Amino acid sequence: MKFIPLIWSGIWRKPGRAVLIYFQVCVAFALFGVLQGLQTGVEHLIAQTRADVLLVHGNLALFDPLPLALLERIKAVPGVKVVVPVELFGATYQNPTQQLGVVAVRPEEGWLSAFTFSIAPEYVATFRRLRTAAIIRDGLAKKYGWKVGDHIPLKSQTQQQNGSADWAFDVVGTYADSDLGGGSDTLLINYDYFDAARLSNKGTVKHFKVAISDPALATTVIDEIDRLFANSASATETQSMRELAQSQMQSIGDLNLLIRSIVGAVFVALLFSTATMLMQSSRERVPELGVLKTLGFTDAAVFSCILAEALAIFVAGAASGLGAAVLAFPLAAQIVPGLSMPAIVVATGLAFAVLAAGISAAVPALFAARATIAAALANR
Amino acid sequence: MSFTRQFLALLRIHLGSLPARPSSALTIVVGVTCAVGALVSMLAMGTGARREEMGDVRADHVILSKIGERPGQSDISRDESAAILGLPGIRKGSTGDPIVVFESATFIEGRRRGTDVRIYFPVTGVTKNLEQYLPELRFTEGRMFAPGLHELIASNPCARQFRGFELGDQRLIHGIAWTIVGRFDLGQAQQCTVYGDVDGLMAAFRRNTYTAVAVTLQSPEGFAGFHAAVAADPALKLEALRESDAIAEQFKELNAILHFTAYFVGSIMALGATLGAVNALYAIVDSRRRELATVRALGFGPGPIVASVLAESILLAVPGALLGSALAWLLFNGQAASPLGYSLHLAVTPTLILLGILWALGMGALGGVLPALRAANVPVTTALRAV
Repeated sequence: MKFIPLIWSGIWRKPGRAVLIYFQVCVAFALFGVLQGLQTGVEHLIAQTRADVLLVHGNLALFDPLPLALLERIKAVPGVKVVVPVELFGATYQNPTQQLGVVAVRPEEGWLSAFTFSIAPEYVATFRRLRTAAIIRDGLAKKYGWKVGDHIPLKSQTQQQNGSADWAFDVVGTYADSDLGGGSDTLLINYDYFDAARLSNKGTVKHFKVAISDPALATTVIDEIDRLFANSASATETQSMRELAQSQMQSIGDLNLLIRSIVGAVFVALLFSTATMLMQSSRERVPELGVLKTLGFTDAAVFSCILAEALAIFVAGAASGLGAAVLAFPLAAQIVPGLSMPAIVVATGLAFAVLAAGISAAVPALFAARATIAAALANR
Repeated sequence: MSFTRQFLALLRIHLGSLPARPSSALTIVVGVTCAVGALVSMLAMGTGARREEMGDVRADHVILSKIGERPGQSDISRDESAAILGLPGIRKGSTGDPIVVFESATFIEGRRRGTDVRIYFPVTGVTKNLEQYLPELRFTEGRMFAPGLHELIASNPCARQFRGFELGDQRLIHGIAWTIVGRFDLGQAQQCTVYGDVDGLMAAFRRNTYTAVAVTLQSPEGFAGFHAAVAADPALKLEALRESDAIAEQFKELNAILHFTAYFVGSIMALGATLGAVNALYAIVDSRRRELATVRALGFGPGPIVASVLAESILLAVPGALLGSALAWLLFNGQAASPLGYSLHLAVTPTLILLGILWALGMGALGGVLPALRAANVPVTTALRAV
C-alpha cells in the first residue's frame, strides 16, 4: 500500500509519454474488442439458436415449393410436437422500392413454439379469428406509421384469383423476433386465407416449421422425416435451426484467419512500441532508482514498482479501449443483426492486458532492479 | 544561412544520429509496417472482389429488370418477351435473331468438396443463344446443353468447389435426373455458374417469370437510345441497366461491407501507429536536447528545425510502408477467400501499394508535428546547462 504514491508519481514522471502509451493500449484493445467480439459473438449466436425447431424444405433449394399434403405425415413422426406450414412471398407498399416480406402461417394450437416470435396473446387471438388479419413486425409499424385497425394495401407478383396484383390486410397487432435471419420488414398473415385467394401454386408451402418435444431427438426426427419422402417427387431436406444458422454463418467464419492476423499485428506493434518506451524510461531513471536503493529499497521492490506502473497504464488503457469497443460494437455488428458483445471477450482482453504489461515491462524492470547503487549514482 | 541549407544540415545530423538509438526508429517502422500491412490486405479483398465482379463486364451488355427490383432477381413475365425482342438497337446474332437471353436463376443446394458444408449456388436457365451473348464462354470438356433433354453445363470453379460436377454426374430435380454434359471457363470468373435450358428449368421449379433479361447492343453508344426505348414502351415495366451498373447494384452490400471493414480496421491501426510514432519521436527529440540547443545557439531558426524533424518522421515511415505492402503482397496476394460466401482472390495492386505509402506518409507527418514543435522550443540556456 505504501508504494502506491511512489508508483503514481512514477507513472506521471513524464506525463506525455504515459498518456501516449495509455492511448496506444486503448486503441489496440478497442480494435481487439471489436474484431474478437464479432468472431466470438457469432459463435454465441449460433449456440443460442434453437436446436428443437426444425425446418423442412425441398431438397433442391430453400424456396422450392412443397405440397401442403406432407403436413399430416410429418405430424405423425414420433417426437414431433407442432408442424406449421409456411409460405413466403414478396410485396411492395405504395411504391416499388418499399419492399416487404410476407410470411403466411397457419396459427393452430401451439404454433408459436416453432418460431422465435414474441406476440401478445390478444393479438394472436384476433389473428386466428380474422381471415385477413396481419401481425406486423415492430420495426415496420414504426417505419410506415401503421397501427392496429389499419387496412394496408399491398402489391405483389403473386396474383389473386381474379388476376389482380392487389392485396389488402388488416393490422391486428405487432410482433418482435429474436431470430438472426428474420428480416425486419416482415408481416404475418393467415396461410389458409392466402392459399384460397391466390391464383397459382395452390396447396403448396415454402417450408414447414417443426417443433420437437426434445432437442436430443433432433437427429432421429430429421432422418425419419427425410426418409418418409425420399425418392418421391417432393423429396425433403430437414435441418435444425441451429444447423441452418451454422451454414449461414460459415461464410463469416472464412474471415477468421484475417481477423487473427490483424489482431496479431496489432499486438506485435503495441508490444514493440511499449517495450521500447518503457526501456527508455528505465534508462533515464537509473540515477533516481539509485537514490531509492540507497534509501534501502530492495531490488525486488524496485522491480515490482516498475512492473506495477506498466500494469496500471495497461489495465487502464485496455479497460477504456474495451469500453469503447462495447460502445462502438453496434456499428460494426451491422453485418450480423442481433449480435452483441460477449462478456468473455472483455475478460480475455483484460487478461491479455496484464500479460502484455508483463511482457513489455519485464526487461526494463529487470534492468532497473539490476543496476547497482554505485553505477546508478555515477551515471549522474 | 538559407532555410534549405539549415534544413538539409539538420536532417543530415538527425539521420546520422539514428543508429545510436535504433529502438526508437524501429518502433516507428514496426508500427507503420503493421498498420499499412493490415490496411493493404483488407483493401486487397475489396479489389479482388471488384476484379471478380467486373472482370468480364462488357460495355455493350445490358440487363433488364423490373423497376425497383434487384437486378438478376426480378420477375419478368413471359408476356413481355415479345415486346423486348422488338426493341431497337439490339445486335443480331449469326442466325439473324436479336441477341436477347431470357434467364431464370434459382439457388440450389451443393456440398463443398472436402468439408461437405452445405452451400447454395445459382442454377440459371437460359435460352440457347447464350453462346452468342457470351462469346468468351469456352468449353474445356463436353458440349452445350440441348433444350428439352434435361442437361446442364457447369463452369470449372463448380467442380473445384463442390461435389457432383464431373461430366456425366446427375442431379435430381423433382424426381428427374439432369446430367452435366459440359464444363466451361468463363473469362476470369471464380464463381460457380450452372446453365441449363430456361423452359425446362422453369417447368422443373414451377416458375412462370424470368429473373433477368440480358441483351447485347449493336454498340456501347446505343445505350441511351435503348434505355429511352425501354422507358417509353407502355407494355414494359422494366428498366435497362448497363451490365456494370447492374452488377454494382447486386454487389452493393458486399462492397460496402468490405470497404467499411478495411478503412475501419486500417484507421484504428493507423491511429495506434501514429501514437507510437509520436512517443518514439518525443524520445528521439529529448535525447537530442543538447544538439538542438547548440544549433539554436549557433543561429539556426525554429522553422528549419520543425521541418527537419517532420521530414525525419516522414522518412522513417517510408520503410514501414514498403515493408507493410511487401508483407501484404507476400502473405495474401492471390490468396483465395470467400467473405460472406463470395469467392474471390485477394489482389494487392500497385494502386493499393501507393495508397499504403500515402497512408504511411500521413502517419509520419501527423506523428511528427508535436515532437517537431517541442524540438524548436528547446530552451537554449537550460539545455546547455545540462551538458
